[in-house]
Amino acid sequence: MQQEPYHFFPSDAEKVFSQIDKGLLKEALGQMYLIRNFEQRGEAAYQQGKVGGFYHSYVGQEAIQTACLAACGDKHWFTTTYRCHALALLLGSTPNAMMAELYGRATGVAKGLGGSMHMYADRLLGGLAIVGGHIPIATGAAFSIKYLKQKGLASFCFLGDGASVQGAFHESLNLAALWNLPCIYVIENNQWGMGTAATRAVCVKPIAEHFAKAYGIKSYTLDGLDFFNCYAGFKEALHECLTTSRPILIEAVAERFRGHSISDPGLYRSKEALQETIKRDPILRLKAVLIEKGILTEEECEEIDREKREIVIAAMKFADESPWPDPITLEEGVFAPPEEKK
Amino acid sequence: MGTQIIEIREALRQAMDEEMARDSRIFILGEEVAEYNGAYKVTKGMLAKWGPERVIDTPIAENGFAGLAIGAAQTGLRPIVEFMSWNFSFVAADQLISNACKAYYMSGGRFSVPVVFRGPNGAAAQVSCQHSHCVEAIYGNLPGFIVISPSNAYDAKGLLKSAIRAGNPVIFLENELDYGEKMEIPTEEYVVPIGQAKVVREGKHVTLISYCRMLKFCREAAEILSKKGISVEVIDLRTIKPLDIATVAASVRKTHRCVLVEEGHIFAGISAELGFQIQQHCFDDLDSPLIRVCQRETPMPYSKGLERETIPNTDRILAALTEVLK
Repeated sequence: MQQEPYHFFPSDAEKVFSQIDKGLLKEALGQMYLIRNFEQRGEAAYQQGKVGGFYHSYVGQEAIQTACLAACGDKHWFTTTYRCHALALLLGSTPNAMMAELYGRATGVAKGLGGSMHMYADRLLGGLAIVGGHIPIATGAAFSIKYLKQKGLASFCFLGDGASVQGAFHESLNLAALWNLPCIYVIENNQWGMGTAATRAVCVKPIAEHFAKAYGIKSYTLDGLDFFNCYAGFKEALHECLTTSRPILIEAVAERFRGHSISDPGLYRSKEALQETIKRDPILRLKAVLIEKGILTEEECEEIDREKREIVIAAMKFADESPWPDPITLEEGVFAPPEEKK
Repeated sequence: MGTQIIEIREALRQAMDEEMARDSRIFILGEEVAEYNGAYKVTKGMLAKWGPERVIDTPIAENGFAGLAIGAAQTGLRPIVEFMSWNFSFVAADQLISNACKAYYMSGGRFSVPVVFRGPNGAAAQVSCQHSHCVEAIYGNLPGFIVISPSNAYDAKGLLKSAIRAGNPVIFLENELDYGEKMEIPTEEYVVPIGQAKVVREGKHVTLISYCRMLKFCREAAEILSKKGISVEVIDLRTIKPLDIATVAASVRKTHRCVLVEEGHIFAGISAELGFQIQQHCFDDLDSPLIRVCQRETPMPYSKGLERETIPNTDRILAALTEVLK
C-alpha cells in the first residue's frame, strides 16, 4: 500500500478558540457529554435485553460531528452510517425519542421501525446500514440543493474508512465532481472496518488526500480527537464548498473506543493500545481547554456530565414506559399517501 | 375528442413531457437520455425542449445515479430514472433494494421516495442472457415497490403519468421490441389508474392472463381458438403490484379454467404468485389445474431457434389452452 504522512489541516488552537462564542463551546461540551452518556446507557440497556439488533457506539469520535455541527450549523442535509446516534441527537432528535427507538417503541424517532442503525431527524436522511450504500443518497441531496438553487446549503455525508473502498463511494465522488454538487464527504477514520485494520483494507494512507486528487477535488485531513481542529477544518471546508460549488473530501482521524458493535470483543487490538487511545479522549481534551481558559470549572464540567446523564436516564424511563407499536399498524406506512395536487 | 396514432415510445415521451410541464421538480436522468436522444429514442427531443438541467446524461454508473435519484427524491425532487435495460438495474441493486423501497417505512414515514425507474425489460432480439432477464419477480418480491408493465401505447402513457404522480418508488417495465407498436389514443390528457387489470377480450370457456409483450401472443391464441368455437377471456394485468386479483377472480369464477403466461422464468415467478392467489380465491370454482407458460429454466440462449423455444409463444399458449380445456 501507498503510505505517506498525514498533512493535518493547520489550525492555531488559540486563534480558533478566540473566534468561537464561549456559549457555543459550553454547549458543544454538553453535547459531547450527552452523546457519551447516551451511548454508555444505550449499551447498558442492550445488556439488560431492552435493546435488540446491533449497537454501534460513537464513543471516542464525539468531537468530529459535534464540531461539524457547531461550525456549519444544522440547516444542511445530513446522511450517515449505522453509527448514527450522535448525529441524530446533534440534529435535534430528542434523547427520549432516540432511546424509545432503541427500545423498539411507538414513540421512537422512526416509530420503532428503524432501530439502532436507522436514526433520523428532520435533516438527517439516516442512519443507513449498508456500508457505502448511503453515499449516493447524500449525493442526491446535494443534487437537490443545486437543482432547487438553495443558497448556502450543502449535503454532509459521513462514512467510515471501510466504506471508502466501496464502488458507491467512488461513483458518488465522480458524479459530485462531474456535476459540481455541494457535497461534503467526511471519512471518519476510526482505524477499523469491523476487525480489519484500515491499513489492511485501503490501499492508500492518508485516504482523503490520495482519493481527492483522483477526482480533482480538495481534501482536508482533520485531527478527529481535537474539537478545535475539526471546528476550523469544517468551517473552511464548508466555505470552500459553497464558494467553489465543488465537492470536498475530508478525513477525520480518530479511533473508536468500543468494538465495531456491541457484540465485538475487540480481540484484534491489545489492551495497551486501547488504553493509549482512551487517554486521548476528545471530551477530556476539550474539557481541559475550557478549564484552562476559565470558561468552566472542573465542578461545572462534572455538573454538565451529571445533567446529561440524568437526561439519558430519564429517556430510558420514558422508553421503558412507552407503548409498543400496535400490531394492527404492522402493515401501515409501506407506501406514502398520494401527494396533494399542486 | 381528438385522437392520434402513435408508437409506445412516443406515448411514453408524451407522458413524461406532459408531467414535466405540470411539475418543475420532475427531471429525467440516465445513460444516453439527452444528447443521444435515448438509446431507444423514448426521450427524443426532450433535451432540446427542457434543457440539460432537466434531461441529464449520466456516466455508466447505475449504482451511483440510481442512488442519487433516490436521495434527490427524498429531498424534494421527482426523478425519472431510465435504465437502458432493466438488466443494468442489477448494478444498482443495493440502491433499489436497500434504499428505494425501504426508506419510507424504515424512517417511520419521514422520507418518501417519489421516483420512477423505467426502461425496457426482458428479451429483445438475440441479446443473450445478460441483457434478457425479466426483473418483475425480483422487484415484485420487495414490499414498497409499485410494479407496472403496460402492453400498449394507451396504457403506457396513462400509467406512466400515474407512476410519476404516485409519490412512491415505481418499477416501470417496458419492452424494447414493442417500442414501435402503434395505437390510436386520445390527444387529450388522461391517466390510467395503478392497480387495475383489464379484460381485453371477453370469453366464457377459459381465462388467459398475462401482461406486456406476451399479451400479443395471448390475443393471437384466443383468435385462433375462437375459430374453433372456443371462447377465451384475455386479461391484461397492466399493474403487477398491487395485483388486481378481483378482476382475475371474477373471470376465473366465470370460466373455471385458467392459463397464466409470463415471459420470465417459471420458478417463483409472477404467475406462481398469481396462480397461488387464484387457488386461494377460486378453489371451488376451478375445473382443472392451472397451467403456466413461462420461460424455461435456463439463462437466455443466444441462438435464434433456442431463444424462440424458451420464450412463450402462440403455439405454446395454444397447447396450454388445449390442455386446460381437456
